[in-house]
Amino acid sequence: MSADRSEVLQGTLDMMILKTLHALGPLHGFGIARRIEQVSEDVLTLNEGTVYTSLLRLQQQGWIESEWGTSENNRKARFYSITRKGRKQLAIETENWERISGVIGRVLRMEAQK
Amino acid sequence: MTSWFVRLVSRVRGLFGQEEANSEFDLETETHLQLLTERFIRQGMDPKDAWSAARRQFGNKTLLRQHHRESRVLFYLPNLFRDLRYGVRMLLKSPGFSLIAGLTLALGIGATAAVFSLIQGVLLTPPPYQQPQQLMLIPSARTDGKKMDSPRGWPAQQWMEWNQRAGSFQGMAGYGWTFNFLIRNDGSQSMQGMEVSKDYFRIMGLKTVLGHGFDDSDFGQGHVKSILLGYEFWQRAFGGDKDIIGKTVRISRWDSSPVVIGITEPGARFLPSPGAAKEPNYDVNATVDLWVPAAPDPKSMKDPDWYVVGRLRDGVAPQRGQQELAALTANEASTEKQFEGFTPKLEPLTDEMNRDGRRILLPLLGAAALVLLIACGNAAALLLVRGLQRQQEYAVRIAMGMGRGGLLRQVLSESLLLAIFGGTMGVGLAVAAVKLFKLIAGHAVPRLDGVTPGWAVLGWGLGLAVLAAFFAGAIPALPAYRLNPMDVLKDAGPKGTAGIGERRLLRGVAMLQTALTLALLVGAGLLIRTMMEIAQVPSGYNTNHILTMSVTEVQSHDSWLPFHKQALERVSAIPGVQYAAFAWGVPLTGNNWPATMDIEGQPTAAKESDKIAVPLRAATPDYFKLMGLALISGREFRFTDDDKAPKVAIVNQAFERRYFPNSNSVGRKIWLRGRDKPGIQIVGEIANARTDDLTEQPSPEVYLPLWQAQAFSKHLVVRTSADPRTVIVAIERELRAVDPTAAIENVKTLDQIRDDSLASRTFAMHLLTGFSILGSVLTLVGIYGLISLSVASRRRELAIRSAVGAQQKDIRRLIFGEGFRLIAGGVLAGIALAVILSRVLRSFLFEVRPSDPATLIMVGALFVGVALLACWAPVRRAGNVDPLEALRYE
Repeated sequence: MSADRSEVLQGTLDMMILKTLHALGPLHGFGIARRIEQVSEDVLTLNEGTVYTSLLRLQQQGWIESEWGTSENNRKARFYSITRKGRKQLAIETENWERISGVIGRVLRMEAQK
Repeated sequence: MTSWFVRLVSRVRGLFGQEEANSEFDLETETHLQLLTERFIRQGMDPKDAWSAARRQFGNKTLLRQHHRESRVLFYLPNLFRDLRYGVRMLLKSPGFSLIAGLTLALGIGATAAVFSLIQGVLLTPPPYQQPQQLMLIPSARTDGKKMDSPRGWPAQQWMEWNQRAGSFQGMAGYGWTFNFLIRNDGSQSMQGMEVSKDYFRIMGLKTVLGHGFDDSDFGQGHVKSILLGYEFWQRAFGGDKDIIGKTVRISRWDSSPVVIGITEPGARFLPSPGAAKEPNYDVNATVDLWVPAAPDPKSMKDPDWYVVGRLRDGVAPQRGQQELAALTANEASTEKQFEGFTPKLEPLTDEMNRDGRRILLPLLGAAALVLLIACGNAAALLLVRGLQRQQEYAVRIAMGMGRGGLLRQVLSESLLLAIFGGTMGVGLAVAAVKLFKLIAGHAVPRLDGVTPGWAVLGWGLGLAVLAAFFAGAIPALPAYRLNPMDVLKDAGPKGTAGIGERRLLRGVAMLQTALTLALLVGAGLLIRTMMEIAQVPSGYNTNHILTMSVTEVQSHDSWLPFHKQALERVSAIPGVQYAAFAWGVPLTGNNWPATMDIEGQPTAAKESDKIAVPLRAATPDYFKLMGLALISGREFRFTDDDKAPKVAIVNQAFERRYFPNSNSVGRKIWLRGRDKPGIQIVGEIANARTDDLTEQPSPEVYLPLWQAQAFSKHLVVRTSADPRTVIVAIERELRAVDPTAAIENVKTLDQIRDDSLASRTFAMHLLTGFSILGSVLTLVGIYGLISLSVASRRRELAIRSAVGAQQKDIRRLIFGEGFRLIAGGVLAGIALAVILSRVLRSFLFEVRPSDPATLIMVGALFVGVALLACWAPVRRAGNVDPLEALRYE
């Protein structure tokens, strides 16, 4: 693993998938993986299999739902879409994340006291 | 809804349709891999490279698949089977361990399941009435809140008005207790029954299993034309003969023979008739033998002859019914002087039925639960030690890739198997225990006849086993969960030892066990002291060498006197019989006649509720000599005090002290039916005796000559020179010679009657003693095991100590100190616990306080002594550790 690529933080994958589904509408697992890859501009490495673990977790929480359909090149694929509960959860998590990352950012930017 | 719950629900749902979900997942991942490969090919990769690159980027598919499968469902069946199969193999591999741990659990589970079965049978099984929670008994209380001297029913006029006007009730029914004999030529058979008003069956929701119930024409004045029989009596007396319907039976004291029109459903028992509670055959917990239709007599509408039960309307709270009835009753009392001074006090039927059972069974359940906890403690300690021995195995498993969750599941499934094994044995023990309880309980637990050891025992036993598995499994599971495989694998240390942390945990468990055991021991100690106190109470009469039996002449009123006189003559003549007497109100049988009376020198009562109530008894002349009741002044009864002679009475000292505190009672008069009628002269005074209850102070009593009082049912009391049971046959023969139809029942020695009166205390004492012995043995084994483990684990330390100069006695003192601190701590905690818990026994205690210091100190000291003995062997072993050998061994 090269030094300039980071692993996906535990727990943040769920959030990223929720956001992706929220922004792009129903997608299959492959599509989600592509989108995350594209957005992260190759900074994040992702074991794409873990996307499915995350999808299962989200579905058990009732934040997303799935339906079988046909993909763009006529393959049978399962499409996931965000639910109302999921949207609510995403809003909560986004707010949390912004607050915490703001704090961490401020801490890290602190200059040494002279 | 919390999120773990949402996921749990989804996992439970996941148990269904697993196959489909698995193949869907395969399809999904397969598609993903293909899409990824195609993408790499489009980017210019060689197809072969693209395929492996895709797989690399996707991650370990097999692992993912397994992970998915396990987190989709609550448990993965094949895994569960594998765990259980492995568990069975491990248990079989060390049969000694499995047997001891299983037996330990079996003792605890058996004790608790047995008591649970009693509770299930006695308290939780509803009576065979529809919606029994709506049924309200309506006893009377005094409006001024004082205690009633004797129980009182309600006049028909009052309750019939309630029935019409109380809107919160669906209806009311009046009832009473009745007693009679089924006349048969080879000895008549007693039956106790209920006289019930027209609406009784409808209000209770009671049905017939054969024939039909009463209809309105059955309720009239005059002779009773039709009766119903109780199912149990029908089986007992008629062998379940279906042809009995439509036939007549002969009943004592009835002028006509009624027709049996139906049989009621099984399990129909009495409702309390407190006024009849002093009758010799009254048993409110028995099943009803006979149902008699009864209609209020227009001539006695104002007499308080009835007990009343009502059914509340749907959704009406008892409080509302109470308020409404109280208002109606107050209104009635304002217009009729005879109704003054009493108010209804609603009581749910099920509360009343369960009061006695609850009083004795709940403390016993508590005690059994303590035994179970103690047993769980031992099983947990055993499992923990075994877990420590298997740490290497666990470490290897973790290193090989078994998840912590999997290991935890493995450990828990082993303890579950053990508990189920123990539970199965426990069920066997419980069935035996329930049989034993039924044998020794006597009258201690009401309606015990309805309890059968069956599915309830099995269900409770296995349910408890799962609970026990959780308790006993949780402690050993913790170290397994926290296990660090690196440490364990690096340090191939000796097996069968425990680190400080585990030893501390086990010490906590043993201390808790000691505390629980002490609480049990204190409970047993208090009851034993109570029984000792009761044994020392001067009862005031003899109980040994006295035989009693209820003897009833069932033919007619005219033959009453000749029968009893002849019977006394014949029985007195039997060799070995010193005295014979007939008596109503033999001590400790609970018999007497509750009566209100006027007493010379006492003011006439202004209100019905203020009348003096004193129980009446009756006896033939030799009775006081026979019982050993001393005559204080005046004379005893004579054979000439019969129905033609002036009415006389004998009172006891308590009566004189209460009503003639400064003078002599002999020569004074009492009136039972008002001062305008001829009075009864007091001719004698006898010594006090505890006739009602050995634990209560003697209360005022009045005796009448039996020839004047002519009691229908009564006891024949016989004093013998040798064992009273040897004359039973001779007495029955003589009585039958006078009248073959005479009913002879309840043959008991007075000693037996005395024991019966203490039955609930004796039962509680036996059970608590048994439970505390069980608990003590388990705890002692636990302490022994713990100190042994401690010595084994500290071998190296002890060796070093002795190598640097510690003497044997120092080493022994060290280990002994560990044991002593543990025991003393447990005992102190146990005494504190006992002071709190033993309060539930308050109603069983006599002259002993729940926190009786003597009992606490004695039990505490005894347990410390015995427990230190349990430490003896391991302490000796510690002293004999050979430093050289021990250090080399490490």
